[in-house]
Amino acid sequence: MREEHGNVGPVMISKGEDPGDVRTDVPYQLITILSNLYPWMTDGKKIAVVTRKCDEKALAEFFKRGYFARDRVIQIGLACNREQIRQCRCSDPVPSVVDIGEPHGGLDTDALSEKLMAMSSEERLRFWEYQFRKCNKCFACTTNCPVCFCDECVLEERTFVPERGVPPGMSFHMIRAYHLSDKCIECGECERSCPAGIPLLTLRKLVARDFKEMYGFSPGDEKTVSPLLTTLEGESLDGDECDEC
Amino acid sequence: MTEFKPTILAFCCNWCSYAGADLAGVSRLQMPPNVHVVRVMCSASVKPEYVMKAISQGIDGVLVLGCHVGDCHYMTGNHRTAKRMPVVQKILKDIGLNEKRVRLDWVSAAEGEKFQKVIVDFVDEVAKLGPNPLKEVRF
Repeated sequence: MREEHGNVGPVMISKGEDPGDVRTDVPYQLITILSNLYPWMTDGKKIAVVTRKCDEKALAEFFKRGYFARDRVIQIGLACNREQIRQCRCSDPVPSVVDIGEPHGGLDTDALSEKLMAMSSEERLRFWEYQFRKCNKCFACTTNCPVCFCDECVLEERTFVPERGVPPGMSFHMIRAYHLSDKCIECGECERSCPAGIPLLTLRKLVARDFKEMYGFSPGDEKTVSPLLTTLEGESLDGDECDEC
Repeated sequence: MTEFKPTILAFCCNWCSYAGADLAGVSRLQMPPNVHVVRVMCSASVKPEYVMKAISQGIDGVLVLGCHVGDCHYMTGNHRTAKRMPVVQKILKDIGLNEKRVRLDWVSAAEGEKFQKVIVDFVDEVAKLGPNPLKEVRF
């Protein structure tokens, strides 16, 4: 990340080039950029990417589905600072190899999800109804999500999300929660990019907790298992159909 | 006050549960009339999105019926359903709905009586839960 004209944006540095002033303190999902960049890379060339723990998990999900070749992506581990960990309520912020930054421990609890689970179900429904009513269907959560890599997005199907009508209804976020349940890495990008300020990360965290309880699996596990919800144990991913739907 | 009659959507797989429903009908087993049966080719072809859409549009309960595990016409279809539906239930719970509004069960083609039992049980249970709160939510 580099600051230019007062804005911070991702920057690509090729071999032999001077990196100059790069910033590592801005939360940004570089994997989203990488997934756009990867198909344009010349054969045999490699790319290095600065990865936080969440980026690392996202990459694991990409490898698992065979979108990236493992040997073409080099990871530079970046440890998040305390402020970032607090923002994401991250429980697991230390990457496997720390190259930049100082590792800090994660937080165990997320205040909002604790509060929600302590509520009665009517209150919880009212809370989410209020939140989802703010949604203006801008698709920022989908566009900025590092693990939204389906070719055809189910949220663009008119059967599930009508073309007209803002807010899009309760099912929009429920469907998204389901679709991300076996791959959401809890990076918090959806919450950060949401213009309406819907606490989407909290919803992800709630679903992830249930998911772990049920299947003992959390996304980004460095296992060679295929996507949990679409394939069965030991099944390979072949065929040209979409693996997600 | 009239008694609350829930509206139930039942997805039945073509090979087992739909035939089971047929058998229940031919055997003249009495069943509550609030169930709408949708025939699908396999329980795995019931996308969770359909269930969520039905719930968010005010259906009181969704029943997904398939062949018994191991008996799927397409070998592994119902294994997938068995993995997916619990996730749907958990998401409903997290949103603040009762997870009992969605139920996954297995009914084979020979089990007309079980089909009746499942339907009666589920209708009773959903009637106890009351109407779907999302019925009033319009946006």
